[in-house]
Amino acid sequence: MILDLIQNSFDGLAMGAAYALLAVGFTLVFGVLRRVNLSYGPAIMVGCYAATWVSVAFHSNIVILLGVTILGSVLAGAYVEKLCFAPHRQGSAIAAMVASFALWMQFEEAVTLVMPKHLYDFPPMFEGGPLAVGPLLLRPEALVMLACAIVICAALQFLLARTRFGLAVRAVIDAPIAAQLAGINVPRVLLLVFLLASAVGGLAGWLIVSTYTQVTPMLGMWSTLKGLLAMMIGGLGSLRGAVVGGVALGLVEAHSQWFLGPQARDLIAYLLLFVLLAWRPRWMTTQSAS
Amino acid sequence: MDDYTVGILTNIGLISFIALSAYLLIIAGEMSFGQQGFFGVGAYTAGVATAMYGIPLPVAAVLAMGAGATAAFLVGLPTLRLRGLYFAMATLAAAEMFRIVFELLHFQRDIDGEPVGPDGTQGFRGIRWVFENGVEPEGFLALVWGMLAAVIVLFLLVERSRLGATLRMLGEDPELARLLGIHVERFKLGVAAVAGALAALGGALYAHHNTYIEPRNFDIMLGVHSLAYALIGGLGTVFGPLLGVLVDIGVLEGSRVFQGYRMIVFGGLVALLLILRPRGLLDERTVHWLKRRFA
Repeated sequence: MILDLIQNSFDGLAMGAAYALLAVGFTLVFGVLRRVNLSYGPAIMVGCYAATWVSVAFHSNIVILLGVTILGSVLAGAYVEKLCFAPHRQGSAIAAMVASFALWMQFEEAVTLVMPKHLYDFPPMFEGGPLAVGPLLLRPEALVMLACAIVICAALQFLLARTRFGLAVRAVIDAPIAAQLAGINVPRVLLLVFLLASAVGGLAGWLIVSTYTQVTPMLGMWSTLKGLLAMMIGGLGSLRGAVVGGVALGLVEAHSQWFLGPQARDLIAYLLLFVLLAWRPRWMTTQSAS
Repeated sequence: MDDYTVGILTNIGLISFIALSAYLLIIAGEMSFGQQGFFGVGAYTAGVATAMYGIPLPVAAVLAMGAGATAAFLVGLPTLRLRGLYFAMATLAAAEMFRIVFELLHFQRDIDGEPVGPDGTQGFRGIRWVFENGVEPEGFLALVWGMLAAVIVLFLLVERSRLGATLRMLGEDPELARLLGIHVERFKLGVAAVAGALAALGGALYAHHNTYIEPRNFDIMLGVHSLAYALIGGLGTVFGPLLGVLVDIGVLEGSRVFQGYRMIVFGGLVALLLILRPRGLLDERTVHWLKRRFA
């Protein structure tokens, strides 16, 4: 029983690391643009499909596929930014969000036109099964996910807090007009943040599909929903919150799945979000960006 | 009219109900990601009523509206004070919870030796009231559009009245509304319940048109589509959401020219349209201009 709890917690932690990365990408965009990018997950899916295509055609190794996934996500992200966010920078947040939903539809149809099968195999990150540590089974992929989440978050914190680019980003968040007057190219900063978020999303997508070794068109909706859920649970707009939210979501899901089954897992995740939103503890209302 | 045209026109009518439901909330200043939940509540309630208990469709539709309004009221109670994305996410969470409850719902009765009723993810088959009572597809089409016309007339009456002005003021500036003595929370709760009832009515008709429903029909895709319909059609008039549905289902699906590429065309069209007209084709300014010109 205790062993099961530990094993579940570890599995949840690994999944939570992936959610955390998804939420970090979401948070970067939301924190800076104050806009929700519904196409965030679908752009990641485009990257994963591009990598799957390369894998089917050239049997490339997994590291090259990582590069392809990130590149595909970033290109798809650039398309989303140009069509949905750059034009609505001063305008309506709803219009930007609905436009990003429209591109989601495009991405989903485009990938199923190019690769029509319902499910594609993706090469695994590691050959061979899980490592046995005493009575527990640890998947090496999980350790990589956790390590990636920690390193990426630390790097982003450093980037935002200590570099000139980070200073520019914070200036744009706090006072866009003053930032513009001080000579910061605001549209360019916003585009770069968007692409950075897409790259983080691409990495998260690669970690997820090479852990579960399959790619389906559901990946887009799944990534958007999980990223949003983790971001909202963590309190919207702070990177640390996104990580905490992702890990909390992963842990809650792992335990409720084990005790109650997969449908109850999703039910409890949404119930948690609903209750948190209705109750709104103090940490959910913080709006700081870094 | 051939069967295909009748089917498309019926679908346009059915989806218009949920698009109008999303539109009503946008006008009142709230963006809901969760109207599909109430659409589903209506579909399941009406389906259970007619298929399992032999209740006639008109009564079942009223029951569905009651259930939809109650559900929307209960969801609105703790969430309507939330703003923007918080409200959108809370409604999304609620709608997803409804969908998962439908997945967990196994509730069947033997009717003529066959089990009838919601069967979890297997869906809910045999909602055949329309066929058993000899309603032709054209008759059902007339029924759907008749109900829709009634709803539109109600909307038009409200928009001309003090109530309509209050509604738009609530959307534009809730603080001002509060200062003018309007109970903002109470008013919004009422609006949410009406929007829930409207979506549920659409769901009840939808279930009887398709004879088969499953939880997947009521996922986030339907909810975001209905928001998109309201927004591309325009927020200036009740005909905006209808125009949005017409553009997507009528022109793109109906014309069959874009078969296989429909979503790519529709998606690109919507994104470009929103750059040119962020509040849709029939936005407030256009509607005002049209009224001055022709009325």
